[in-house]
Amino acid sequence: MASGLPPGLLNPPRPLSEAEKAAGDDTDAGGLGSVPGTMILVLVFFAAFIAYYFVNWKLLSFLWKIG
Amino acid sequence: MTTAAAKFRVCPTTKLRVHAQADALIKANAVVATVALLIGGLAAILVLLTRWQAVHLLGAEMFYRVLTIHGMNMLIFFILFFEMAVLYFAGPVLLNSRVPAPKIAWTGFVLMVLGTLMVEWTMFTGRADVLFTSYVPLRAHPLFYLGVILFAVGAVLAVCIFFASLVVARRERTYEGSVPLVTFGALTAAIIAAITLVHGAAIYIPTFLWSLDLMPMDAQVYRLVWWGLGHSSQQINVAAMVSVWYLLGALTVGAVVLNEKVSRIAFVLYVLFISMASAHHLLVDPGMGPAWKVWNTSYFMYMAVLASMIHGFTVPGGIEIGMRLRGYTKGLFEWLRRAPWGDPGFSSLIFSIVVFGFVGGITGVTFGTEQINIIAHNTLRIPGHFHATVVSGTAMAFMGVTYYVIPLIFRKKVAFWPLARIQPYLFAGGMLIFSITMTFAGTFGVPRRHWDITFSGAPFTLEFSPAVDLVMGMMALGGLMAALGGGIYILVTVWSVFFGEKMEGGDDGERAAPRAPESASAAV
Amino acid sequence: MHTGLEPPRGVWWKPIHRSEKIWIALAFAWCMVLFAMMPFWHLRGGQNPSGIRHRVDPQAFLARAQEFTANYQVGEDNGFPVVEPPPGSDIYLVGRMWNWSPVLRLRRGVEYTLHLSSLDVNHGFSLYPLNINIQVVPGYDYGLRVTPGEAGDFRLVCNEFCGINHHTMVGRIIVVDDGAPVVGLVPDGEVSATRTAAANAGGRP
Repeated sequence: MASGLPPGLLNPPRPLSEAEKAAGDDTDAGGLGSVPGTMILVLVFFAAFIAYYFVNWKLLSFLWKIG
Repeated sequence: MTTAAAKFRVCPTTKLRVHAQADALIKANAVVATVALLIGGLAAILVLLTRWQAVHLLGAEMFYRVLTIHGMNMLIFFILFFEMAVLYFAGPVLLNSRVPAPKIAWTGFVLMVLGTLMVEWTMFTGRADVLFTSYVPLRAHPLFYLGVILFAVGAVLAVCIFFASLVVARRERTYEGSVPLVTFGALTAAIIAAITLVHGAAIYIPTFLWSLDLMPMDAQVYRLVWWGLGHSSQQINVAAMVSVWYLLGALTVGAVVLNEKVSRIAFVLYVLFISMASAHHLLVDPGMGPAWKVWNTSYFMYMAVLASMIHGFTVPGGIEIGMRLRGYTKGLFEWLRRAPWGDPGFSSLIFSIVVFGFVGGITGVTFGTEQINIIAHNTLRIPGHFHATVVSGTAMAFMGVTYYVIPLIFRKKVAFWPLARIQPYLFAGGMLIFSITMTFAGTFGVPRRHWDITFSGAPFTLEFSPAVDLVMGMMALGGLMAALGGGIYILVTVWSVFFGEKMEGGDDGERAAPRAPESASAAV
Repeated sequence: MHTGLEPPRGVWWKPIHRSEKIWIALAFAWCMVLFAMMPFWHLRGGQNPSGIRHRVDPQAFLARAQEFTANYQVGEDNGFPVVEPPPGSDIYLVGRMWNWSPVLRLRRGVEYTLHLSSLDVNHGFSLYPLNINIQVVPGYDYGLRVTPGEAGDFRLVCNEFCGINHHTMVGRIIVVDDGAPVVGLVPDGEVSATRTAAANAGGRP
């Protein structure tokens, strides 16, 4: 089986020009900001977190009274 | 000043000046880490095939022995040797600098290996059937505790060398500006390691003396201090994993740092709040009261969780901007859809973030709540949680970065490349199934660290719902899939390192060349 | 912008992107909720592992447990004394390698103070199928005030590794509805009305 090299070494990410770097530094435009995809992903995560957390409190509440 | 004999090579890819000792120390630690992973992995398969009642492979005595071997090899030997390699990379290599006092560095390595061998001997000969936590009054042979102490002393030496290398690099001006974020993250991991190892000394030295009948040991105090070591060691793993996330992001897609201030503060939060957070292992213990429990889990929740949630945004965000700046701007997710999913470094990175966050993080914070812990403690929910964090999270990230370490440090091509490309999918997919099913079984009350859930020989009968058998069977299959992924990783790395094709394009070696301040340019 | 591998030049203490600020604010608010839930549950919730906690010598705990058993025993089950204590009383459960003793017979809706301790190593109190899990530590008496919420025939699993026969450490807790007749027990599950608590007042040690 052939050996290989990871694409990050064979075909590395194109270096950014100074203009591109400056553009990245500019803080947010648009509704979801400069990282809309990430924003959606973290909000999905947040929803899952809230749901799992409170479901567990509900499960706990079915137990005997303990104190 | 460098000695006349200091030997460096210039990496053709990154243009970093790599000290020969750094190369050697990274290799040595990575190789030993892989051996430990192999032992721990074989043990994992045996444990899994026993907890799968349909197979129930090992007898009771061997089960607990092999479970101890699994825990110690994975959570101590594999992960810490690998982290030493990460430190030598993040310090001397990333900063173009030398390893100061190589003799001490090697002494540290040798002590770690000696300690490991001592502990392995006690475990394999049945003198330490006490599980990873070795809760007193369960008693192991004194050499078990002494081995851990030696290992810890060696690790302390390596951590000190890392700190020294940062000082030396700064003093000798081998880089300009502040240390890179990856190095900063490794620094916080090293600080937590130092704190962890102090806790380790505080518990293993008295316990070693107790095992020789030289002093008493209170069972609750042991648990309290041990978890000061036990949890903090997991925070080392988190900090190291997050550093590797930034490293892999940079290497695979040119991910940018959204904001240095935010990421660095998030790393510092890890340092400040780990030790007392260990309280979440003791939430249903009799020795401490609710005020202590609530205070310590909250200020853990305030800060260490906040830090992880921050990195959970900045790492993907950095990938997104890195890709958007390079033209992937269509819609919301082109930056992710058209990312290099065939690069095992990239796929490992994404799986590590997703499974660590969604499964590991959410379950961990939930179970670490004082009252919810009542329905989680010592059930399979707990190992379900930590296999999602330290295995699907940290170990997955470490596996991903190995595919870059092999060419960059070992100067070899990655063997069995098609297998390497699918390895993260197998491992992460298997581990995802494994963790989720295990957590689910735990909600039925299935105990952890338990040889036989049919309870044969018990005075009262207990039968779990048939759903449990189904879930445990699925858990076993997920685990076997992950073990296959782990096995491929070991095959690929060992073959590459020892029998692999050498890289062309020589290293431009240098001997004691006068050094002008050079910046470490991005890996491209 | 630069990667995590590059040393940042100049002043890197820069303003934060708006979306990052939003996320940090959300995450921080969530952490406040996480914190507040625990004291809230202490005030308004029914399940808290607070307990009345003491250090105790294992032999002293055993003696108390044996006295408790002698006073309130109503029968025997698989060699274990079955004990039916009065409502509101202090009740004792001993964990040791490798059994739980005694078998407790409790009434639904009644509060007891359940004292848990071990005579030797750590054990794990895990009440099935409710999934109530408590650490049982030698040298410590964990007195949890419990009120059984439903009648049933429960099993007590040990879920902290305690040696080679850890898997045989299964106990039993029975909860009856208030007003149910007192019955003696024959092995594992079969019940027969053979004697009353009064007839047993003399007790068997």
